[in-house]
Amino acid sequence: MPWMNRATADRVKFEFKDVEVEFTKHTTNLHVKQERLIDLMKHLKEKEGYRHFIDHTCIDFPDTKERFQGIYILYNPDTNERVIVKTWAKEGKLPSLEKLWACARWAEREAYDMFGIVYEGHENLRRMFMWEGYPYHPLRKDFPLEGIPEVELPSLTELYAGRTDPPSHDFELVHTRVPTLEDLERTEKARLQKKAQLVLNWGPLHPGTHGTIWFLFDLDGEKVVQSDVILGQLHRGMEKIAENIYYFQFLPYTDRMDYISAICNELSYATAVEKLLGVEVPEKARYIRTMFAELQRINSHLLWLGTGALDLGALTVFLYAFREREKIMDIIEGNAGFRLTSAFLRIGGVHYDLAEGTLDVIKAFIKDFPNRLKEYHNLLTRNRIWLRRTKDIGVITREDVFNYGLTGPVARGSGVPYDIRKLEPYAAYDEVEFDIPVGEVGDVYDRYLVRMEEMVQSLRIIEQCVAKLEKLPKSAPYVNKEHPAVMSPKEYVFMDLEDMVKNFRIVVHGENAPPGEVYSSGENPRGELGFYIYSTGGSKPYRLRIRSGALYNLSIFPKLIQNGTIADAIALLGSLDPVVGETDR
Amino acid sequence: MTELLINLIITLIKILVVLGVFLGIGAYLTWFERKLAGHIQARMGPKLVGPFGLLQPLADGIKLLTKESVIPQNADKPVYYLAVVMAVAPALLLFSVIPFGPEFTLFSYRIKPIISDVNIAILLVFAFGSLAVYGTIFSGWASNSKYAFLGSLRKAAVIISYEVVLGFSVLGVLLLAGTMSTTGIVQAQIERGVWFIVYQPVAFVLYLFCMLAESGRVPFDIQEAEAELVTGYNVEYGGMRFGVFPLAEWYLNTMALSAIATVLFLGGWSGPHIFGPLSPYIWFLVKMFGLVFFVLWLHWTLPRFQARDITEIGWKIMLPLSIVNVVITAIVAHIL
Repeated sequence: MPWMNRATADRVKFEFKDVEVEFTKHTTNLHVKQERLIDLMKHLKEKEGYRHFIDHTCIDFPDTKERFQGIYILYNPDTNERVIVKTWAKEGKLPSLEKLWACARWAEREAYDMFGIVYEGHENLRRMFMWEGYPYHPLRKDFPLEGIPEVELPSLTELYAGRTDPPSHDFELVHTRVPTLEDLERTEKARLQKKAQLVLNWGPLHPGTHGTIWFLFDLDGEKVVQSDVILGQLHRGMEKIAENIYYFQFLPYTDRMDYISAICNELSYATAVEKLLGVEVPEKARYIRTMFAELQRINSHLLWLGTGALDLGALTVFLYAFREREKIMDIIEGNAGFRLTSAFLRIGGVHYDLAEGTLDVIKAFIKDFPNRLKEYHNLLTRNRIWLRRTKDIGVITREDVFNYGLTGPVARGSGVPYDIRKLEPYAAYDEVEFDIPVGEVGDVYDRYLVRMEEMVQSLRIIEQCVAKLEKLPKSAPYVNKEHPAVMSPKEYVFMDLEDMVKNFRIVVHGENAPPGEVYSSGENPRGELGFYIYSTGGSKPYRLRIRSGALYNLSIFPKLIQNGTIADAIALLGSLDPVVGETDR
Repeated sequence: MTELLINLIITLIKILVVLGVFLGIGAYLTWFERKLAGHIQARMGPKLVGPFGLLQPLADGIKLLTKESVIPQNADKPVYYLAVVMAVAPALLLFSVIPFGPEFTLFSYRIKPIISDVNIAILLVFAFGSLAVYGTIFSGWASNSKYAFLGSLRKAAVIISYEVVLGFSVLGVLLLAGTMSTTGIVQAQIERGVWFIVYQPVAFVLYLFCMLAESGRVPFDIQEAEAELVTGYNVEYGGMRFGVFPLAEWYLNTMALSAIATVLFLGGWSGPHIFGPLSPYIWFLVKMFGLVFFVLWLHWTLPRFQARDITEIGWKIMLPLSIVNVVITAIVAHIL
């Protein structure tokens, strides 16, 4: 994807004299003073068309005076250009952008949680992932990787045993003091309005939440007056881990984020790192990657379909979807050796060459799958009950797509053709033909149709990949082993001294990346999964930020569910399709 | 005196037979449903316990009986226990007014294969049907859980709207038969040589809807809604106390209401005598289980409605339809 061009940058520079424009190898950065940040962002959003909020995060530089640098990534859907805005926090403070982009609220809460930056004007600056009362900010550079052992999450049992700290998990006992609630003050007022109201607690373990998200619904009858989302049950500190290991070592960790689409995660990460290291990927590897990413997409959409239908009471679709999913799992297992967290990709290629007979199995799958899709359509698409449950529920407008930073099928369901595969082709996506389905209304039903059509398009891509891979000779390289930062495949390592030495060096010393920064993203089944890598040279990233599509997609949930019912909540959540491994990281 | 005693003994035997047969069938219906669901969903269903998994219901029963039964701390204990009784009793009582076959003579005693042939049988059906909701409401209230509470309220809303439709849909049949006795209704159909479904197709469809709603089957299973309310009203029950709820609601109620539909619309035990002396009973069971099968089939195919949709359909579409149906039936029956 191109970055902000010089003409626009000059216009911005003309408007804002003190803005410094920096064109790096992979990005365009605007440096602005903290006081002028809101003005610049407003200008970019309203005058220059950078209205899609992609991400916000911070970098900690303990040695500089201001210490924290805020990073904002914006996207212009008209010209298909991105820009990074950077600003230094003043005395640990940044202005809040929640008036401009609603989803900035969650991103800022996360930055507050991880770095301790105070956002002025933020309505509800609470911890995002860590529990309230936790005294540290884990992504600061002076926070040790292993954590601080004396401080652990207080548990309910300990409270009963007489421990004094209020545990954040016990809503009944300390519910006025649980400050991780989104918009707590407003919620509390609403709770006091009417005595008949009921607070329904969903989760952290609840069959409807597809993982460990914690929802609170204020109910008036069945109607949801207000809802809160509490995240962080699955927070593992991926970004902190990434800062402390080599680039290639982090690859298996990406599997554990959106564990339903592991290969897509790997592909996004590998693309970002390859950009930073300047690694060319051989043709065969690109096609294998594309093929497996699309298989994984079908796999993930099937899981969404099955569980989504299960949520709405259609029990049989679940097993029908899993039957097909099993075949894809087998294909992945046959090639990568693992079913779920496959770790199939490598920096510079793929781990193994295609296994014997893979293409035949995939061809059989391509032949069979359209019939299965027809089965799902027969069961659901024109089913009156299904229509009643999904039509006009949770309508997302186009403005909200940009305001909440929505991506993936959720954005496309509202008619925004935002698909990284087309806008910034990676792997072999620029060499295959496929269409981007978009919805019209933006309700749950449109998102359902978009995902169903995406499976058909994925199938098309796979078909083309198979045709291409059949033509390629068996001896074609599947990993770019000539590059000094790419590990050679095992068969060379055991036979060849140079390869062995190279592997040895990489495993011990890492890849030794050049200094610079990269923002690269992939189109995941759950939206844009972006990796912002800030490297100061060396083998470990100085800062690796993961832009999670699921997190941003989830951020619109409290707004959409207002005045809906509990039954709508389940349909809506299914259509947003968050995976907690990715929202919490 | 001896007459009374003999009558009492005969009734007792009938009760034991009906209870034994239908509780047994109810248990085996779980096996049947699981097997059916398995085949609908392209899997095998239970197959490890006994041949074809036939001992699975027994294993389930033993498991449920030996499980620890946890009662919530703040539960309203008397109501909590009462709910179990209130769930299963009305479902069983429904069987008391179902005629399974024609009168026959055994040892010079004339025996009707119905527990109590009262002339207000259909009224009793409504009464028991309405009572069934207490099991749900009590369980929701007594377990002191928000999920259970919401589930039971949903069920109450459904029952209230569908009881009315049920009453009106059956009214057409009563007008045609001119009696409220279940045996009388079957006799009326046999005498005319036509099943009432021919005269009352709309009423039959309405009745089927009400049957699904009353027995809490898909697409009306909002009181369970495992994705939203975990399992709704019975979430705080464990062991056999939990097992009783689906047994009563999903199996006994479905069977009883199917049997009544058979009586009302499908000519009860009438059918060609091709199975010898047992043929009326076989015909009755065939019709009844045809309907049960239909319910199970829907259960494993359709998604579920929302609470507000169900009540909306009930009040806005089905109630006017059933009233129009009754009025037209009354006029036509009067003219002919």
